[in-house]
Amino acid sequence: MSFLTVRDLSHSYRGARRMWGRAPDLPVLQSLSFDLAAGERVGIVGMSGSGKSTLLRCLMAMGRPQSGEIRCNGRLVVMGRPASLRWYRRVVQYVPQDPVASLEPRMTVAQLVAEPLRRLRIDCDPQSRAQEALESVGLGSQYLSRRPDELSGGQAQRVAIARAIAMRPAFLMTDEPVSGLDMTVRAQVVQVLRDLSQTHGTGIVMVAHDISVVAALCSRTMVMEHGRIVEDRPTSEILKAPHHPHTRQLLEAAPPLVAAA
Amino acid sequence: MMRITRAAIPALSRGITLIAVMVLIGLLPWISGRDPALSILRARMGDQNPTPETLAAIRQQLGLALGPLDHLWNWLAGVFRGDFGTSWISGAPVLPGLVQALGVSLGLMAAALAVALFVAVALCWPTMRRGLRGRDTRSSGVVAACLTALPEFMLSAVLLVVFAVWLRWFPPYGWHGAANVVLPALALGLPAGGLLGRLLENAIAATFHERWIATWAVAGFGKGQIARAVLRRSLPALMPQIGMIIVAMTGGAIAVEQVFSIPGLGRAVLGAASAQDLPALQAGILLLLVNALFIGIVANLIRIALLGRALEMGAMPVPQVLQAAPSRRLWIVPGVVSFLMLVLVVAGLPRDPFTSEYIRLQPPGLLLPLGADGLGRDVLARVAHGAVSTIGMAIVVTAASFVIGIGMGLMPRLAIGPIEVTKATPPTIAALIVTAAMGPSAVGAVVAVSAVAWAPLAAHTAALVTETRAQPHVQIAPVLGVGPLQLLPRSILPAITGPVLRHAMLRLPGNALALAALGFLGLGPKPPSPDWGLILADGLPYVERAPFAVLAPVAALALMSVLGVSLAALSRR
Ligand SMILES: Nc1ncnc2c1ncn2[C@@H]1O[C@H](COP(=O)(O)OP(=O)(O)OP(=O)(O)O)[C@@H](O)[C@H]1O
Ligand SMILES: [Mg+2]
Repeated sequence: MSFLTVRDLSHSYRGARRMWGRAPDLPVLQSLSFDLAAGERVGIVGMSGSGKSTLLRCLMAMGRPQSGEIRCNGRLVVMGRPASLRWYRRVVQYVPQDPVASLEPRMTVAQLVAEPLRRLRIDCDPQSRAQEALESVGLGSQYLSRRPDELSGGQAQRVAIARAIAMRPAFLMTDEPVSGLDMTVRAQVVQVLRDLSQTHGTGIVMVAHDISVVAALCSRTMVMEHGRIVEDRPTSEILKAPHHPHTRQLLEAAPPLVAAA
Repeated sequence: MMRITRAAIPALSRGITLIAVMVLIGLLPWISGRDPALSILRARMGDQNPTPETLAAIRQQLGLALGPLDHLWNWLAGVFRGDFGTSWISGAPVLPGLVQALGVSLGLMAAALAVALFVAVALCWPTMRRGLRGRDTRSSGVVAACLTALPEFMLSAVLLVVFAVWLRWFPPYGWHGAANVVLPALALGLPAGGLLGRLLENAIAATFHERWIATWAVAGFGKGQIARAVLRRSLPALMPQIGMIIVAMTGGAIAVEQVFSIPGLGRAVLGAASAQDLPALQAGILLLLVNALFIGIVANLIRIALLGRALEMGAMPVPQVLQAAPSRRLWIVPGVVSFLMLVLVVAGLPRDPFTSEYIRLQPPGLLLPLGADGLGRDVLARVAHGAVSTIGMAIVVTAASFVIGIGMGLMPRLAIGPIEVTKATPPTIAALIVTAAMGPSAVGAVVAVSAVAWAPLAAHTAALVTETRAQPHVQIAPVLGVGPLQLLPRSILPAITGPVLRHAMLRLPGNALALAALGFLGLGPKPPSPDWGLILADGLPYVERAPFAVLAPVAALALMSVLGVSLAALSRR
């Protein structure tokens, strides 16, 4: 039984308004369908602009998709009043592409991580749960009272991850969680995600430009091009024998490290 | 369905606002609670004691024994037939006279625009020349800033005193020939030209700093071609501001016409306001508003034509983002001005502004530093007390416009109609409406200026809200369980209050000047209040014998203007 089912999902952005007539629509996602099984680790790769972030935002019900439907355990996920989606927010969490900017600049790290626990009425002590989550990403108590502008890029990245995993979600959607980090921090973040998956059975969707990161974590890989999923198979098979020409291009562009992995 | 209603909100908002304005103007006689029969009787028969029978007869004769709705309906139906009613004073139809007056006003506007254009071109000329020679294009902008700082009613008074009364180069009043046009056109055109020139100059200087200029120069384009391209690039972004400047001129023209006794629309409407001739007042206000709206719309159309496409709702004219920590030196001028103002207030506040203790027009002396006015009152005391009351009122206006501006800016789609109409309404016209409804008073002046002063703050708020909503930490809010209502205190209000408050404070001197202008025109505090505008108006008839009664309030107003301009300059860096 799949955890999340996506059927015929399409999305487009409104283009710049013309002087007369209506704005043209720019299609970004074109009729996507796939299933995610509970606990699965899935990578999404594709060139810049292929629609990966848009797909995640649709999966997170942050915008209303043009058409198509998303179901979680059979229950329809639609954007609506915040309370009506609380159940979904509790089980599926999100680490956005630009974690530094996704942290409200006026709040402290402790407040930031505890906020969704309070707002989504998770049954726990938010303060200690937040501290626990921060420790699991390697941020000690000295960071609790800092504000986002007092953090390095990698630390902010880890705060955003801590905020998502403090919820103990069943599924975690991460948008390029390691881009812009140096190699050691990168390995650390991948380790955090792997631990999460192994100890709590959390499913993970990870978007990346770079196929090597996906190879290090995910058992299944989707390749996107121009808003379509052009290949969706186990990672090891894709690495060995890519079917689609676009996948081959991505592999060639990746650093040699992949070949070893 | 949802989408269609959302898209229709701005159009609905505009339509409803226009209807509301029409209804407000149409109901003025009823709101004012004035008995027209009484007004008519007074105007026609002097101080005869009215008997109930004569009053009833007049009411019957004019069909005035009607309720507000019938009244409104009659008026609206008349307006659509082109019949604006008959004057309560003269009994003649109001429209023909007002249309003639509008013609005069448009003539004055045209002359003033010519002056403004000339001034603007003169101000930009050096920058353009320097730019074409490839030199640094910044200029100090001191001349432009000084011109901008002069409110029209004050400049009119000064020009009248200097060139018509002392030098006798031009006639002091009337509208008979070219000589009559010069001073009013200067009074109206100089401040507008200063502002226009400043904006253009900044835009041109910025354009010359762009990289393509150097490329074009290397590629061998002629200077004429480059100059044209620079103008084409700089102008469109300025169109909304140019429109607002011209709209503001329609308000300034009222004061100029009053000072120079020009038989234009503004003076006619002021006359109707003081005579309580409501039909003439209604028609005049409507014409003034239509005139201002028309100018606003034309400016907008020109901008659309130049830019090639309309801007989205979210992209309402974005004011300069105020940046923190400007250099220390820039605080010198506002600091010195504030200090001078403080000295004036401290020196004059303990003195008595109301009692006629001195000889009429007594010249300045040791005990009476600024002399006495036409009623033998201490000018220093009056100006100092005036500072307190004018600035106090301006603070109230600033606070009110801040609150209204934030509230309206938070719902820009809904508020687009009020914002646009308010932007096209100079404070003087708002004050005419308020005065018609409740008579001239300090409270009325505060209400009138507040009623229009919020619009720029709302536009600023709307721009900031759009900007804030686009930020990732707000976009992610639904995922964290933050609803749209909780978002307001969590992210949006904290992000906008600081900048909008600073913007509101910068407009405080401007609000003070607008209030003074209303006092000057008899639309604000009533005598004997020591309002700056009133002091100036009181002093004008005696300017030759007691120049200090005019110079003192002019100096105070000039200080206030300099404060406003220097603060605005601070925000621009
Ligand atoms: N808010 C928006 N308005 C209009 N177009 C948008 C918007 N956001 C994204 N797009 C367009 O949609 C397409 C897909 O964008 P998306 O951010 O999903 O790409 P991506 O695959 O995540 O790219 P990257 O790897 O660079 O993050 C791009 O062509 C982008 O220009
Ligand atoms: Mg992306």
